[in-house]
Amino acid sequence: MLRRVLGVLAATVMVAAGAACSSKQESSGGGTDQSPIVVGSTLSLTGAFAATGLIHKVAGEQYVERLNAAGGLLGRKVEWTVLDDQSDTAKVGPLYEQLIAQNKVDLIMGPYATPNILAAMAVAERHGYVLPQHTAVLAPQLSYPCQFPAWSIGPTPNQFIPNLLFDAVATLPTPPKKIAVLTSQSGSAAFVTDGLGDDKTGVLSIAKERGLDVVVDRHYPPTTSDWAGMAAEVRDAKPDLVISNSLGVDTVNALNAMKQLGYTPPKVFSLFPAPGPLLGLGAASEGALSVSIFEPNKPLVDKVGGDAQAIVDEFKTKATTAKVAFPVFETQAAASWNAWDILASGVKAAGSVDNKAICDGLHSKGADTTFSGHLSFDPKVNNFWPTTLGIKQIQNGEWVMVWPQDRAAAPIK
Amino acid sequence: MSVRKGLSALVGVSLLLAVLAHFNTSLGVAPYLLVLATSVLFWVIQATSWNLLSGYAGYFSFGQAAYVGVGAYAVAVLTGRHGVSYPVSIVVGGLLGALLALITGAIAFRLGSLRGEIFALLTLAVPFILAAFVRINRDIDGGLGTTLPLPAFPDWIGDFQHLIFLLMLAVATLAVGTALAVQGSRLGRGLSAIHDNEDAAEVLGVPTFRYKMIAIVLSGALGGLGGALLAVRNGAVQPELVFTLTVPLFVIVMAVLGGRRHWAGPVVGAAFVTVLQDELAALKLDQWGNIILGGVLVVFVVAAPDGLFGRLRARPWLTVGVFVPVLAGLVLSGQYTELDALLYAMVAAIVVAVVYDRLRPVAAPHRTTPAGAEPAGRTAPSPLSAPQPDSGRDLVAVAGVIRDFGGVRALDDVSLSVGQGEIVGLVGPNGSGKTTLVNLLSGALPPSAGTIAIDGRATVGLAPHKVAHTGVARTYQIPKPFASMTVLDNVAMAVMFGRTGASLPQARLAAADHLATVRLGHLGDQLPAALNLHQRQLLEMARAIAAEPVVLLLDEALAGLNPAEIDDAVAVIRRIHEGGISIIIVEHLLRVLNQLATRIVVLDRGVLIADGEPAAVLNDPAVVRAYLGRQRA
Amino acid sequence: MTAVQAALSGALIGGLYALMAAGLSVTWGTLRVINLAHFGLILVGAYLSYQLTSAWGIDPMLTLLVSAPVLFVVGAALQWAYDRFNIVEFNSLLVSFGLLMIIIEVSTQVWTADFRHIDAGANPYGTSALHLGPIALPVSRLVALGFALLLIGGGHLVLERTFAGRGLRAFAQDRTVAASFGIDHRRLGLVVGGLAGVSAAVAGMVFALGNTIAPAHAYEWFGTVFAVVILGGIGNLLGSLFAGLGVGAFSALVAVLWDPSYEPFVLFLAIILALVLRPQGLFTRRGLA
Repeated sequence: MLRRVLGVLAATVMVAAGAACSSKQESSGGGTDQSPIVVGSTLSLTGAFAATGLIHKVAGEQYVERLNAAGGLLGRKVEWTVLDDQSDTAKVGPLYEQLIAQNKVDLIMGPYATPNILAAMAVAERHGYVLPQHTAVLAPQLSYPCQFPAWSIGPTPNQFIPNLLFDAVATLPTPPKKIAVLTSQSGSAAFVTDGLGDDKTGVLSIAKERGLDVVVDRHYPPTTSDWAGMAAEVRDAKPDLVISNSLGVDTVNALNAMKQLGYTPPKVFSLFPAPGPLLGLGAASEGALSVSIFEPNKPLVDKVGGDAQAIVDEFKTKATTAKVAFPVFETQAAASWNAWDILASGVKAAGSVDNKAICDGLHSKGADTTFSGHLSFDPKVNNFWPTTLGIKQIQNGEWVMVWPQDRAAAPIK
Repeated sequence: MSVRKGLSALVGVSLLLAVLAHFNTSLGVAPYLLVLATSVLFWVIQATSWNLLSGYAGYFSFGQAAYVGVGAYAVAVLTGRHGVSYPVSIVVGGLLGALLALITGAIAFRLGSLRGEIFALLTLAVPFILAAFVRINRDIDGGLGTTLPLPAFPDWIGDFQHLIFLLMLAVATLAVGTALAVQGSRLGRGLSAIHDNEDAAEVLGVPTFRYKMIAIVLSGALGGLGGALLAVRNGAVQPELVFTLTVPLFVIVMAVLGGRRHWAGPVVGAAFVTVLQDELAALKLDQWGNIILGGVLVVFVVAAPDGLFGRLRARPWLTVGVFVPVLAGLVLSGQYTELDALLYAMVAAIVVAVVYDRLRPVAAPHRTTPAGAEPAGRTAPSPLSAPQPDSGRDLVAVAGVIRDFGGVRALDDVSLSVGQGEIVGLVGPNGSGKTTLVNLLSGALPPSAGTIAIDGRATVGLAPHKVAHTGVARTYQIPKPFASMTVLDNVAMAVMFGRTGASLPQARLAAADHLATVRLGHLGDQLPAALNLHQRQLLEMARAIAAEPVVLLLDEALAGLNPAEIDDAVAVIRRIHEGGISIIIVEHLLRVLNQLATRIVVLDRGVLIADGEPAAVLNDPAVVRAYLGRQRA
Repeated sequence: MTAVQAALSGALIGGLYALMAAGLSVTWGTLRVINLAHFGLILVGAYLSYQLTSAWGIDPMLTLLVSAPVLFVVGAALQWAYDRFNIVEFNSLLVSFGLLMIIIEVSTQVWTADFRHIDAGANPYGTSALHLGPIALPVSRLVALGFALLLIGGGHLVLERTFAGRGLRAFAQDRTVAASFGIDHRRLGLVVGGLAGVSAAVAGMVFALGNTIAPAHAYEWFGTVFAVVILGGIGNLLGSLFAGLGVGAFSALVAVLWDPSYEPFVLFLAIILALVLRPQGLFTRRGLA
């Protein structure tokens, strides 16, 4: 009985409390004049995705700082509210709901890592918010028309990446004939190997079309901790090229395991590696290939021109202070920068922070970005713009853009 | 509070919440409260689902993610990929959760030994298997996770947030209502007995296997429904969403922190942990948020090891008296949002309740009176009133029984019959097979060969609780009381689940009589922990006779007692016998058996070597050789 | 030959699983404390080895001279606290989960969430191997097995042969009886907790030799390590060793003969099967409680 009283009492008081507070909160969102434009997002600042989440935090803060120094947007300052989703996909949705419903942010920015972006997209769609996002490349799944990718591998990455890679290695003096494919069973990595749903195009099918011999094809769960079995198989199959369609440090672990068996593959391609640890392998990873939209190589920075060098240098300082392990302005940071450029372009095109107008403006006028130039968005292909993706390679202990030739900083080795 | 009243109060609160949520804008309730409340309700569902088996029956599970997973994937596959409507896929999610639970239970509960840690690991393995299964079979979710369409719903509901809140509220009400109803039912009492001592529960007539199956299936169904709704709320499903360690760990944290033996414990725990986590995230503390959460967990579990709810309930007015003024004060001050205020008020109430108990510990349960404080047991019973042995009717008929353990033959071709009104003493050196025979008679072990009949009914192959219902009751050499129940309820359990069965209030009345028979009536409201060994032995006997057996098996019921206590116990045994119950008593003290037993049976190395009048048997040279000779050696 | 190589490598890495499981198993079995914070200690052990090797350029194994005493003290202090506040069984699970959260987040503050690994130059064991014909035995894994044999074998002998060990086992069976025989469970508990800490230091060091370290790893170890503890029989050190080697070899064989994606599926199905057939643990003699 008492508990019933307690429950009703608590509920009643909550309502009263809500009423008392509501007047206070009304004013925070609706301002039109000089109040700042508030952008909200979550990032994985703790937990498994935190290493990369932090890069996006540093890059975003740097962007907002520069934007405000140049007068903000529409003459208003920009404020960025970042919440920590703890790398827990289940927390992302409620936190975006909080940002939109409670904090009444004007705009939102995507979180990091594909599962989290999908969760945020559902919330954005329910509220009609524009969602620029840095890193999700699963084009077929990102069906919300006001989702804008900042890192595009085009509408069919599962065709584009294998072809890009095989074109690049075909120019080598001795092009690979036998390939080993190791695939992480996580979103985008498996997509590039096997395709999605009824579209079975991917590394495996394209390798066969091109007459390459797939000598090892192994899929492993993201929780894999022991790489000895796969390493032994790769060693004994003697491939010319190991394609590691993986995330994070998987490739590092796989190469270590091979090295422990006294074997180093002649050539390695790693799809989405954490860039730092792979460099840390030293000689073992020299010549390794990966994908990139931007590397701070002199020729590339010069080509971008403008503030590029200053942005790259400033990022290095800020990231070092924030204890980012690999404080280099490369693909992740560039994607982050693109996302903010897209949001800013949209606001300018709309002339307001009305999300519907921003979405329409981006569809009609596109966006101007510092590192990927002018982007135009076609909702028919889920806004995935023609890609600027290239191949990078570790040369003398540094990542260097090597393919395609017109954007390369050095030839592939 | 009766179950019916509790359920109607619960429904009332739910309806109130639903109405509040529906009119949240006009009432000025911040929309985000709805989002947070939806999260709280999700965790209430999961923590309550977990608690049905793991809290009530004590079968700790790490597998909650499995139910969440099958529920979420039912929605992802059916609605996301095959266009089935949401209501259907959500219900299927619940059914699949129940089915998975049924399979898990059928594997785990078949073997009595899959308890404790072993059961925990078994359940830990299930989500790993399911996650791997989903990843391997890319056709299930396309290999990359599935996005879900926006559900369609009538306009009067409001927006999506209202919809998902109402759905969560409905399932949470169902879950809490189920937990509440179970707790007040026979099932709940049975699960509680299983939690305290499963073996004792089974021989008292609790159908343990069936009860555990019911609990796990309810748990699976509710967990699956909750998981299905999680998918709807999230709008996208990947293995990372559901098959994480976060789910089982936080469910355990919530239920245990709140209190596992009461339906409201998981509710309190889920609300507190979810709101606390949310607040920590909103404060942008980054790592410090988790450090504080970890610290709170440590401090509260140390301070209130039996759960916060118990502490709050022990001091209801103090709790309300702190909670309401703090909440009102903080809110009216205008400095805090309603959420901050709610959290701080919760923390204040909890801290005060816990600290108050630390400073002024609840009056320790009255120390038990020393043994023999009720000396009436000394009066010598009139031998005339004892029922006369009537060997014409076999209450116990054992024929050609063999029992092997691995390569060791513990009982070899034992035949024995016990008639109406007899007290049969079962003696023999250590390891001669006495306790094994008791275990066979009570059904705890099956014989390797041979037949056993109680009151004319064959018992071989029956579950122990069914054997109990044929009319056998036993005591344990080391008493096995139900630690969480009062002495009276310990006995009432035996009446409830005995041959005739009864409701709890009726059972308590009968139990009081049985307690009086063993002269423990004055300790009825104590917990067993407060009893000394002698009193616990008497409690064992009271519990055994409460099952209204025709045959009572006393396994070394006098072991460890002092002479005065032995006299007392013997008097009690005589009184039980006078009540018309035949007795088989395993005992070392030949002096006692000599005066108590009408017949003595001697086992040596698994073989029955003598059976007859006490005086004759004890003078049998073979018995003296086997028994005394061995003891001397 | 690939299968033989994989099974051998897998069995050797099983030494690491056994090292991780041993400390958890022994405190669970003898003190009734399910110490999830043990995973945090392993993590700290790994980071300490990484840090000291990077800072001083010493041999990674020598870092044990610092990390083992430090974690001995931490382990003993934890056990003191569990005992002082009478935290056993499932409450210990909760309290130590809270502690694990704290340890992981503090590690993140100190070492960031990024992946760390000992520089190839400072780590002579990282990628070297012993070659026996076509079979390569990675040195870091031989080190894992070596330490597992040394620590677990030693611990087993102590438990079986010494008075303190027998006292501990008696204590595990019945606390009150053991106390009446003059066994000071507090002191013994502190030593056991401390030694569990040492085993965490060793496991962490061995892990750091051959792997990248990140705070989130502490959670990823749960499944395999719990499986090893329970398959081996709780509190049964030798059992942990055999279970570790078995799980390692079995997983690697499934990965090679079938596909790595089937590994968790087959492994955990096998574990369920093993539990159903031998619920007392694969390596527990019957009749020993």
